[in-house]
Amino acid sequence: MSVFVVGYYSLLIAASCLAAYYKRREPFLIIFGLTLISIIVGIIGGIGALKAITTVVALLALAAGMSYAFKEFLVTITPERWAKELRTAPLTASFGMFVIFIYAIAGIFAPVIAPHGEAEVIASSFAPPDQNMLLGADQLGRDMFSRIIYGARNSVGLALVATALAFFMGALAGLLAATRGGWFDQVMGRAADIVMSVPSLIFALLMLSIFGTNLIVIVIVVGVIYSPRVFRLTRAVAGNVVVMDYIEAAKLRGEGNWYLIRKEILPNSTAPLIAEFGLEFCFVFLLIAGLSFLGLGIQPPTADWGSMVRENATLISFGEITPLIPAAAIALLTVAVNFVVDWMLYRSSGLKE
Amino acid sequence: MGDIVSLVTKRLALGLLTLFVVSILIFFAVELLPGDIAEAVLGQSATPETVAALREQMGLNQPAVIRYLHWLAGAVTGDFGTSLVSGERVSAAIGPRFLNTLFLATYAAVIAVPFAIILGVIVALWRNTAFDRVANVLTLTSISSPEFFLGYVLILYLAVRTNAFPAIASLQPGMSFIEILHRTFLPALTLVLVVTAHMMRMTRAAIINLLSSPYIEMARLKGAPAWKVITHHALPNAWAPIINVVALNLAYLITGVVLVEVVFVYPGVGQLLVDAVSKRDFPVVQACCLIFAATFILLNLLADVGAILTNPRLRHPK
Amino acid sequence: MATNKKKDVLLKIQDLRIEAYADEKWFEIVHGVDLTLHRGEVLGLIGESGAGKSTIGLAAMGFARDGCRISGGSIEFDGMELTTTPQSALRALRGSRIAYVAQSAAASFNPAHKIIDQHTEAPLHYRIQKRVEAQEDAMELYERLRLPNPQEIGFRYPHQVSGGQLQRAMTAMAMACRPDLIIFDEPTTALDVTTQIEVLAAIRDIVDQFNTAAIYITHDLAVVAQMADTIKVLLKGEEVEEAPTAQMLENPKEDYTKSLWAVRSFQRDQKPRPTDPNVKPVVSVKNVDAAYGDTKVLDDVSFDIYEGMTVAVVGESGSGKSTTARCITGLLPPLKGEILFKGEKLPPSYKDRSKDQLRQCQMIYQMADTALNPKVRISEIIGRPAQFYMGLQGGELKSRVDELLDLIELEPSKYYNRYPTELSGGQKQRIGIARALAAEPSFIICDEVTSALDQLVAEGILKLLDKLQRELNLSYMFITHDLATVRSIADEVVVMQHGKVVEQGPKDVMFTPPHHPYTDLLLSSVPEMDPNWLSTLLEERGVDNIGEAAEI
Repeated sequence: MSVFVVGYYSLLIAASCLAAYYKRREPFLIIFGLTLISIIVGIIGGIGALKAITTVVALLALAAGMSYAFKEFLVTITPERWAKELRTAPLTASFGMFVIFIYAIAGIFAPVIAPHGEAEVIASSFAPPDQNMLLGADQLGRDMFSRIIYGARNSVGLALVATALAFFMGALAGLLAATRGGWFDQVMGRAADIVMSVPSLIFALLMLSIFGTNLIVIVIVVGVIYSPRVFRLTRAVAGNVVVMDYIEAAKLRGEGNWYLIRKEILPNSTAPLIAEFGLEFCFVFLLIAGLSFLGLGIQPPTADWGSMVRENATLISFGEITPLIPAAAIALLTVAVNFVVDWMLYRSSGLKE
Repeated sequence: MGDIVSLVTKRLALGLLTLFVVSILIFFAVELLPGDIAEAVLGQSATPETVAALREQMGLNQPAVIRYLHWLAGAVTGDFGTSLVSGERVSAAIGPRFLNTLFLATYAAVIAVPFAIILGVIVALWRNTAFDRVANVLTLTSISSPEFFLGYVLILYLAVRTNAFPAIASLQPGMSFIEILHRTFLPALTLVLVVTAHMMRMTRAAIINLLSSPYIEMARLKGAPAWKVITHHALPNAWAPIINVVALNLAYLITGVVLVEVVFVYPGVGQLLVDAVSKRDFPVVQACCLIFAATFILLNLLADVGAILTNPRLRHPK
Repeated sequence: MATNKKKDVLLKIQDLRIEAYADEKWFEIVHGVDLTLHRGEVLGLIGESGAGKSTIGLAAMGFARDGCRISGGSIEFDGMELTTTPQSALRALRGSRIAYVAQSAAASFNPAHKIIDQHTEAPLHYRIQKRVEAQEDAMELYERLRLPNPQEIGFRYPHQVSGGQLQRAMTAMAMACRPDLIIFDEPTTALDVTTQIEVLAAIRDIVDQFNTAAIYITHDLAVVAQMADTIKVLLKGEEVEEAPTAQMLENPKEDYTKSLWAVRSFQRDQKPRPTDPNVKPVVSVKNVDAAYGDTKVLDDVSFDIYEGMTVAVVGESGSGKSTTARCITGLLPPLKGEILFKGEKLPPSYKDRSKDQLRQCQMIYQMADTALNPKVRISEIIGRPAQFYMGLQGGELKSRVDELLDLIELEPSKYYNRYPTELSGGQKQRIGIARALAAEPSFIICDEVTSALDQLVAEGILKLLDKLQRELNLSYMFITHDLATVRSIADEVVVMQHGKVVEQGPKDVMFTPPHHPYTDLLLSSVPEMDPNWLSTLLEERGVDNIGEAAEI
């Protein structure tokens, strides 16, 4: 029994006893659950497994601490109206905001942060990490770290543009359909059904095989594929607003459609629409990452996370973790956005569930 | 019962119509090509004569509508023409691969569906506890990860570092069923992880929505014990949402399978499609798209029909 | 009924405190209420919305809804302290010794099971009866509650039975184990007046016959007067006063209670039509037919509204009164017939009407919550019509808004920049009125404007509307199902049923017999404050006529 193991278990047991003594039911369950799991894992995996658990817990604690601090930071610097909302954010949401913030910094200041250019060949292929290269080189000898930083700009930027397009088309059509109703509503509804009856990745593959893989095609295709989802949601949200008596009052006053949309409907649908933008971004981002991974997205030598995974996949069979980093970068951002969206949906639904 | 029959018939007709429109979309999308297929296939170096010859051979001189009808008639009987690249019959290439894809999807579904629904119900019953919050974070994480990320993580830890499962899910003839299950375990597990997360969240939402209805409160106020409230009062009304959740996620499997097949080099339709797209082999692309779209539409159709059939208000009309 | 005082105490609640969870905090919503109920006694709990009536009713079963908790006090039921009883023992009380009847029977019956199966669930669970016995017992109860086809009705599914019948079936279900106490939570609020009678009669019979104690929760004074031996008045989670019914009605002690009783006193003088035959009515509905899709909802509706007069359109839900309003405003173009404004024909659809035609006819809605855009400031809600129709800008607009706020008796400087969500229900309704006035109309449609409001507030709105009518010479079309409102404010009355006008005329004529049979039914079905009203009415109509009295 090493000192580590003894310390490990005594810490856990002490913590669970403390939690139990102070009648904190949930922390107790979590800590004691972890203790039980550690015993099982420890028997199977030995000290290595326990050390892995310690690392994970430490990382989680670090992330939690960072998120908490970041939330307090935001609460302090934002005006009171926002700060009030922000105070209700759970740790997951603050973590999400923090990650989004970091990605935004990385994307905007990529040329400043990255030590090398995204297409600059500086070493032999798959060169291991050294002082110059934090994560080593890729299959052509370019700096992985720099390419990941640039990826934040390219991959996320492309997804943002495509989401914005999908959102613009879908939301506009949805708002118009809700206010005008009648045949326009019917036709748009049917069209959305048709587009949504083909799986999005399949649709994208079909279109890309025809029009080739340049950026504009990707943006338009992805925009078209996801706009029906936005359309449906906007139609539903606006549909709930349109039946309100104040809309009837405005219609009877003789107001035009544009006034109705701008002054009466939009202010009452912003919360769900913003949340939907986040959700849509996740879908679009994952789809584009998938396309890139299949070699049909952003074309080389531009740095892009999806294609980086594909290009360096061979390293995995040597037990290397590097190709997973860009994939993890994709996952992390999507998780972050989802955490924030989850909180926003919870707030806007007003449910205490 | 008249209501149900007419509703189901209407839904079936709508499904067929959608499939028809989608087939038009798939066929005529290719017509949008700058130039035509013959030019696209032969490239810029081709002489006008060879292009004309290929046009003739492919029947491109006929009007598009006629070619569409031919293609549709073929597709209905399982004949999708010949591949531009290999010259093979498309149906011959797709047939066995389609079975493989179905096998993988079924494998994943058989594990994921019961697992996800049971977990979803548990999470709904324990809502707002620590368990629920942890599950929420885990499922969100799983949903947010691209399939290839999960796939490679599994390969790294379960294949490369521990050698528990093969990293490449290639199939050879003559393998025993157990062996096939072992070989395809990692791709199936990847799909299970993603789909379970989705399904759990949706089941949870559906059950919570149901538990807030006044008749559940009434059942509690009549003194029914907790398990009876669930089995007797909630479950009979939960079928429609649950069927919906399952069908939606099976449909989701269809898309997820493409990426997973590529990661694990699994001989399914998804791989074929990706290959065909990069080689611009249009007959194969069209055939694969139609098959995926048809499966997708069929699953959505089943969900709706299931919801109609289990709705007590429709089953016992006035 | 009032002779049960000396019996044993069944339920004793002391200093009950209940908290609700909102905005990440616990708020106390019931602040120390005491309650004593004897065996066989019926206690009426009355109060306005938000008084905590239902919460107290559920607490009497030891139950708190999700997001609520009992935070203090004691609930003693037949010697058992419910606040400390374990859940399993509490559950054993529910359904067997304490039963509950919910407001909406349609939502509270499980759509997946037959009515009788839901009825027999509790007796079977508690092993009081075998299935066949329980079913026979259910049928007997159905018969006592005068449900049609008592042998067969239980074997239907809830959606196959009408609302009034379901509510009676639910009362039968509550009786299934012959409980000592039933909680009735607004059991007739969702029903029309003519259906309400059947349910009230059924509930009273069954409670009398089995000598069951009951807590009857309602906001309707007249209803509680028929049902209860004792009345307890609640306000914002606190008790105002409690007294035996007769004493409470004749001699209320507290100011708040007195004000509740006094509400229905407001009455304004009835105006006659102008005698000059050349005067054209402001609005004239002529032979209008209308339909939603294929279902015809209006059939040959005609009536006139003259300048400065109030015409009340009354009828039960589905009678077509709101549809008539939609035809007048042009939201639903009629199939046949026409709408005249001061003798001039209006285009059928509002889209084809001129700005001035639209301006002349304004509308005030039932639910002030949905009638005002929550994201727009008061100044803009009221100012927009003035800006839109009269082209007022800047300072002119501001002084017009101030003037309008003065008219509706709200302090301009205080409300100018507020949002609707910051106002109370009555204030919101006033803003709705101001928005209508801002267009300077000659005709206003008031669609159930007071029915969502508590009675005191409603009276304030009625008085305001009357004052505005006198000052601005407005014509009102007053859509309502509440005959008390009609009595207080109408000049003429139009009675509608199934999309037809069954009778119309000046108010005094309409309220004196002889009536059309439907008008008679409608008038006589409105509960009155007299505690003997229901008994007298049932005697007059005869027991056999109550069951399906609504069907003429």
